[in-house]
Amino acid sequence: MRKELWFLVRTTLRRIFRNRSNWLIYLGLPVAGVVLATVLYGSTGQPDLQVGIVNGDGNARVAADTVQFLGKLDHVKFANVTESELREQLADGKLDTGLILSAGYSDSVMAGKPDHIALHSVKGATVTAYFKSMLSSYVDNVSAMARIANGDTATFDRLYGQYSGAGFKLTAQSVNDTSNTKEMSTQSIGFLLMFMLTSAGSLSELILKNRENRTYFRIVSSPISAKVYVLSNIIVNLIVMAGQILIALFFMRVVFHLSAGVPFATMFGLLALFALVAVSLSLAVVSFAKSSSAAGAMQNFIVTPSCLVAGCFFPASVMPEFMQRVSDFLPQSWLLAALGKLQANGGLADIGLNFAVLLAFAAVFFLIAVYKFGRSDDTRNFV
Amino acid sequence: MNVLDIRGLTKKFGDFVAVDNISFKVGEGEIFGFLGANGAGKSTTINMICSLLQPSGGEIRILDRDIKTQSRFAKQSLGIVPQDLAIYEDMTAYENVSFFAGLYGLRGGQLKERTEEALAFVGLGDKAKSFPKTFSGGMKRRLNIACAIAHKPKLIIMDEPTVGIDPQSRNYILASVRKLNESGCTIIYTSHYMEEVEEICSRIAIVDHGKIIAEGTKEQLTATVTDVKDIVIELKTATGGEAERLTGLPGVRKASQEENVIRIHSDASVDNLNRILKRLMEGDSEIRAVEEREPNLEMVFLTLTGRNLRD
Ligand SMILES: Nc1ncnc2c1ncn2[C@@H]1O[C@H](COP(=O)(O)OP(=O)(O)OP(=O)(O)O)[C@@H](O)[C@H]1O
Ligand SMILES: [Mg+2]
Repeated sequence: MRKELWFLVRTTLRRIFRNRSNWLIYLGLPVAGVVLATVLYGSTGQPDLQVGIVNGDGNARVAADTVQFLGKLDHVKFANVTESELREQLADGKLDTGLILSAGYSDSVMAGKPDHIALHSVKGATVTAYFKSMLSSYVDNVSAMARIANGDTATFDRLYGQYSGAGFKLTAQSVNDTSNTKEMSTQSIGFLLMFMLTSAGSLSELILKNRENRTYFRIVSSPISAKVYVLSNIIVNLIVMAGQILIALFFMRVVFHLSAGVPFATMFGLLALFALVAVSLSLAVVSFAKSSSAAGAMQNFIVTPSCLVAGCFFPASVMPEFMQRVSDFLPQSWLLAALGKLQANGGLADIGLNFAVLLAFAAVFFLIAVYKFGRSDDTRNFV
Repeated sequence: MNVLDIRGLTKKFGDFVAVDNISFKVGEGEIFGFLGANGAGKSTTINMICSLLQPSGGEIRILDRDIKTQSRFAKQSLGIVPQDLAIYEDMTAYENVSFFAGLYGLRGGQLKERTEEALAFVGLGDKAKSFPKTFSGGMKRRLNIACAIAHKPKLIIMDEPTVGIDPQSRNYILASVRKLNESGCTIIYTSHYMEEVEEICSRIAIVDHGKIIAEGTKEQLTATVTDVKDIVIELKTATGGEAERLTGLPGVRKASQEENVIRIHSDASVDNLNRILKRLMEGDSEIRAVEEREPNLEMVFLTLTGRNLRD
């Protein structure tokens, strides 16, 4: 049986991918989804933030480290300037924001009461929000250590040493996690979900197409059973979707540098689970449809609107509350919610419910399909 | 040994009984004809033999093994030429045959060899790399056959393999059926063209409304019709409606017309040819030819059912 299965899978894949346009449909569209999401939600495409620094606190340790820390942030460019240069360049738009550390800054931080620090900006708050939050968390951390050390230089040195060793790396990693990239990657995944559903739909339709061109008749009258045949279709479907997932994730990470803030393996596992949902949904549709064109129409009717409501195209939070409640019945929104939890630093334990719900969706659709297939006696349309 | 042994086979679609308790046997080396009008239940019977439909009752044995308990063996011994073309339009002739043969477990060199052999057998050896969409109707039918024979089945079932094709392709197909038979294949041949069935089948079953109403060799079947005769009259020109004027003449059971050819089914005991011709000439019809037919399967069918095969 395994040989037969493999034979069917191989020939079906070869048949699908000998057609150039299928490459585009099955593997090109998920990439297009990523591109679309970056265009739609990347607005400015993230140019570097130009920051001018006026360091009036000289070589004091904390001041120097602050500058060094900020220098490690991605998408931030520094220039040392004087105060008058700063004002001029901010006005010209050459700089986005300016940081002024005046004399006494280091001492105030060490005393646990940060002062002598100012941020100047002429642009909207959103531009500098990220920079500001990184800066203030740094300053707050250092002053908190100073308070703990309570004047004991040795303690402070120890704490501070650990922090700048470990903490710098940590922040450097989370640097990509601006809410903007998160949104872009979430919407990229949203588009990917839609393309997975569509491709699962059209691949399952092959079963109906093969009935319509009667080749199904030959296959089932050969030693290969209908079950093995349907199983081969499912496997082809999963292989294609795994390809879609890998390609989309590759483009997100490597080409567009969109980190979803979720480890690759977790992300892949989550999407693979969704692939199961997509296959079983498409099988259920196919089991109800009388013809491949009817199935196509049903898929269209289901896929696009449900993706819309579930927040695949834009964040679900912008939708009215009623719609948000409807989306609880859609597998896509459970997946996106799981993604959101993971991005908010949740662990695998936090998405247990989402995992279970997605699995349940897959099981229910699958059982419906099995039930309908098993009861069909109608060869008239097909034979 | 019986290649096929069917007992009490029944298929119901809801309340409708498409195949009604039929039984027959096909021995090794036979070309068994399955003759019946549209909707008689031929394809339904065949679909059950091929495990495509689940019977509502009865038993099917292929090479003495029950297809329910030994379906793999049964299917492996079977080659099926479906009534409607069952080929992939987007695969070449070679790929089609090779795919379907592959379903039967053929691989590698053997698969290649058998594929080429099957294509050559149906006269498509030089079209191996072409796609079926470029084929004529007859060529597609031949490809449909090639897909069923590459794995060298013991029993080949052909469901109306000559429907809607030109006479040349039809002759080619009939010749290949004989050749397959000579090479040792047992064949079940379904058709509603009685000429074909008469020509190639060694034994014939006539089905009507899901039942076998007669079975035997051509001679056995035609011997049952002694009380009727068929008269075929060809007119020079026909205005239509000529046949209707013949109904009611003594002995005429049924008169039908296809363009300028009138076919009269009549009691053998009544001498009515003169009156028929007179009636036609009264209507200003010019007669080109008159022929009294030997008893044939068409007459058998008509006698048994009161209908023409292709009514
Ligand atoms: N799946 C089905 N559901 C309901 N009725 C069916 C089904 N398949 C066939 N039938 C009916 O069963 C009868 C027999 O059909 P079948 O296809 O076996 O006829 P056939 O002898 O092959 O005719 P033809 O010469 O037209 O091919 C027909 O009346 C048909 O309408
Ligand atoms: Mg039929």
